[in-house]
Amino acid sequence: MIERWQAIFDHPILWLELRRIHRKRWWPGRRFFLFYPVLLGAALGCGVMSMLDDSLGTRLAALVTSVPLVCLVGVASWLLNFALPWIAPTLTATSIARERELGTFDLLRATLLTERSIVLGKLGGCLARLWPGILTLALLAPFQVLWVVAGGSSGLSSVFLLADSMLDPGRPWMWSSLLLAGLAGLLRPWGDLALHATVGLFVSALSRSSGKAIAVSYGAILATRVAFYLLTSLLNIALLALPVALLDTPEAAMNELLMMPALTSLGMVLVEFVGAALLVWAAVWWLKRT
Amino acid sequence: MATIIETRGLTKRYGRLTAVADLNLQVEEGAVYGFVGPNGAGKTTTMRILATLLRPTAGEAWVAGHSVLKDRRGVRRAIGYMPDFFGVYGDMKVWEYLDFFAACYEIPAPTRRGLVDDLLELVDLAHRRDDYVDALSRGMKQRLCLARALAHDPQVLILDEPASGLDPRARVEIRELLRELQAMGKTIFVSSHILSEIEEVCTHIGVIEAGRLVAAGTLEEMRQRIQAQRVVRIGLMARAEETMAWLEGQEGVLEVEPVEPNGAGDLRVTLAGGDETLAQLLSGLVGAGFQVTAFYEETGNLEDVFMRLTKGIVS
Ligand SMILES: Nc1ncnc2c1ncn2[C@@H]1O[C@H](COP(=O)(O)OP(=O)(O)O)[C@@H](O)[C@H]1O
Ligand SMILES: [Mg+2]
Repeated sequence: MIERWQAIFDHPILWLELRRIHRKRWWPGRRFFLFYPVLLGAALGCGVMSMLDDSLGTRLAALVTSVPLVCLVGVASWLLNFALPWIAPTLTATSIARERELGTFDLLRATLLTERSIVLGKLGGCLARLWPGILTLALLAPFQVLWVVAGGSSGLSSVFLLADSMLDPGRPWMWSSLLLAGLAGLLRPWGDLALHATVGLFVSALSRSSGKAIAVSYGAILATRVAFYLLTSLLNIALLALPVALLDTPEAAMNELLMMPALTSLGMVLVEFVGAALLVWAAVWWLKRT
Repeated sequence: MATIIETRGLTKRYGRLTAVADLNLQVEEGAVYGFVGPNGAGKTTTMRILATLLRPTAGEAWVAGHSVLKDRRGVRRAIGYMPDFFGVYGDMKVWEYLDFFAACYEIPAPTRRGLVDDLLELVDLAHRRDDYVDALSRGMKQRLCLARALAHDPQVLILDEPASGLDPRARVEIRELLRELQAMGKTIFVSSHILSEIEEVCTHIGVIEAGRLVAAGTLEEMRQRIQAQRVVRIGLMARAEETMAWLEGQEGVLEVEPVEPNGAGDLRVTLAGGDETLAQLLSGLVGAGFQVTAFYEETGNLEDVFMRLTKGIVS
């Protein structure tokens, strides 16, 4: 058992990449991460203030302080949500193809490293290079839930909305769909990241030149995104239109309406993760075959 | 002696091109086997199959008793492979580079440190331990790559044209290293497109041509093949032209030519036959009254056999 763990941590490719990151000083300064406790403090302050007193004045104060907070969280996480999944393929697409170009890949393959550990090591190495972004995104996640739950309008008001609906036993649809939407929003960037990174990795395992690998990866990712978008829209339309047509009570239809978009987006995130796992498996299979 | 590398009917096709055709190779344990052939003969393809980097179209191969088809890990554990064209991670230090590959061969971290130093000592790079790989010369990179292939103490070394592209000095260093490795008991399977480059260190030679093994055997056997056609040099006091005319009429003489273009000096005679033919020729010469100052056999150059064996099969 201990040996197993040692073998995982003594992964040569991962260490190689980490050493490179370390050497190239590929990270922002430590001060960069100070903003997290500041953010947390501000958020707590807002919450406490609005809990202590229900007067209009404190509510207003909480709202005013929450505006820059929400902006910061929103902009930062939105940027990262977008940037991370679209930067990752550049790194993964060049990983294996670059080794081929340099003529180092055969040396690697002739060792006792299995194809699986080469592929996973490369993936880990590429993700490790993105670590400042990944860490920030993870730290922002709690704030992001609120953001997503609120539908992108105002972080704090959604908390109240959620709390209200939770306290109301008559409307379980309301808060469960809000929770689902929050979960989907939370997982979404990770699903995107996993899928995009593994598309790059898979293309890289197949191609000889890294330039071509990058071009093909982005093409494939764009195509997948368009397909996902169309699929989600169609699903939503179908799932919304059918119950409204079949059920006569408008109340039930309303509940469905709330639930369905959350469910489909959660489903899409799941599909992304499954796709990512399949792509890793396919890359390993391809390397084993040749 | 036991056979350590064996191929049976090994074939590799790339589309319609057959790179290796029905190759049957046997390399004995402890041998230094020179795998010689012109460019495009299929040496690299064969070696890549033996290193489990390429799957053969047909046939089977075993290294140290492990099948390259069924037990790839076993084969990889048993061999150290150095490709003809290879890259290095230039942004790593020399010791890091070796440490990385030692880790790839599942050598536990505590033993790696000593091992890296030993390897650097062996390939004479200990003084460059903390330099970046990019700063090394080509010959040094070649030696570093060889050290890398030795990290897991393999029984067999598969070296694809280790001397190509090196200056004479680096070539001598590689040759010395091969001798040292042979003394350590390793079997070395080494390829080259120039026979003389590896002739000195080899115990066995196999000549490949258009994917087929056209000749194979120990160095001695290969030498004897040349001696089926012997080249004799004759030194004369005078009457060179007369001697030439006389020689051309003798039994077993294939060709007579003057060593120097003007014909004043010695003659070079190519003849077929054994020692008796040689003795008869000498006594005949003396008996006919020619004044012979020298009569000796020129040792055949393996390069000549090689050229003869591979004559024009590959364009
Ligand atoms: N990947 C490949 N695809 C197609 N043909 C190849 C490939 N690799 C090698 N060949 C061909 O196979 C033949 C043997 O090549 P190789 O084994 O590299 O020869 P050598 O190493 O003896 O110079 C050559 O004609 C070469 O063009
Ligand atoms: Mg070659």
